[in-house]
Amino acid sequence: MTEEKKFYLTKEGLERIKNEYKDLKDLKLAKTKGESPKILHSEDLNPEYLAFQEDISFLQSRITEIDNIIKNAILIKIPKKEKQNIVDLGATVFVEVGGQTDEFTLVGSLEANPSAGRISNESPVGRALLGHKVGEAVVVSSPIQTTYKIKKVKYRLS
Amino acid sequence: MKNVLNFLIEVGKLKRKKRRGWVINQIKNPESIAEHVFRAAILGWVLGRKKKGINIEKLIKIALVHDLCEVYAGDATPYDSILPKNKKQLKALMKTWPRFSDAEKTRISSKRYKKERKGLEKLISTLPTDLKNEMRSIWLDYEKKLTPEGRFFHQADRMENFLQAYEYWEKHKNPPLTPWWLWAREFFDDDVLLEFMATIEKRFHKKR
Repeated sequence: MTEEKKFYLTKEGLERIKNEYKDLKDLKLAKTKGESPKILHSEDLNPEYLAFQEDISFLQSRITEIDNIIKNAILIKIPKKEKQNIVDLGATVFVEVGGQTDEFTLVGSLEANPSAGRISNESPVGRALLGHKVGEAVVVSSPIQTTYKIKKVKYRLS
Repeated sequence: MKNVLNFLIEVGKLKRKKRRGWVINQIKNPESIAEHVFRAAILGWVLGRKKKGINIEKLIKIALVHDLCEVYAGDATPYDSILPKNKKQLKALMKTWPRFSDAEKTRISSKRYKKERKGLEKLISTLPTDLKNEMRSIWLDYEKKLTPEGRFFHQADRMENFLQAYEYWEKHKNPPLTPWWLWAREFFDDDVLLEFMATIEKRFHKKR
């Protein structure tokens, strides 16, 4: 049997996904009973769920997907204080690259969204940065050589 | 049927809308959005079959729907908020990968999402309810990466874009490829797509 894929999630990300799971299950239950789900009148409702409630097969596939994620989730923990100058999952890394400054937070594939500043630990740059310290220069050379100078590492994910 | 006809006429506009990234890079006769969608679907299919448990039919539907919003929203580029009017400055900008603060990245990304969501809703508004709901779910799957197919195609779509940039570069030595490589190494994390990227890289070394 092949090993199931593990999902690294921040505490915030895991909570979000657990809440979504609960809400979608409530939606599905209400739909099966033919009721208007109470959750639809809640102010906390994620507006995206409104789309799912009309598409039962999608609702079910998302529930199955979340179920698998929760079963295989690994919570990203903040390292001990003495190790917080090292890039690990959950770190926001401030870098100097090609004369410009940039910052990204290293997260698992599921929460990665490079256009919002969250890059995956499985991307080539994410992999290269992992384990390096403030002050170090990380060279990614394939195919164009680029140096990422690590200026600051911060753990601000809860 | 009248609503379906109107919908298809609107969708047909994507056959003539040029991809904005190539326009600002001053590529001659750039591809249209529909041309990108066509090959993105093929790329998603042929590479997606290497992924265990991926539903190809669902993947192809995601490919077909993912840029429909651009009928009204147009397509966005990472350079949009910093585009200079001067052609020389524009050319210089295209040689760099734009870097923004986290707050700025989030602001740009959320603005684009809202615009595209609005564009999609407008386009599908008169379709039969079940079809409208399906298209919306499919689009959200792609945007929010909700299922393995949505997550894979989110990257496969960008791989088609990357491949097109590479092909233009082979043909015209434009667009400059450095920013594309910088972006790609931060963006892709799927094992199949990284293998494909490595294959492009080998070809790049030969053509350089």
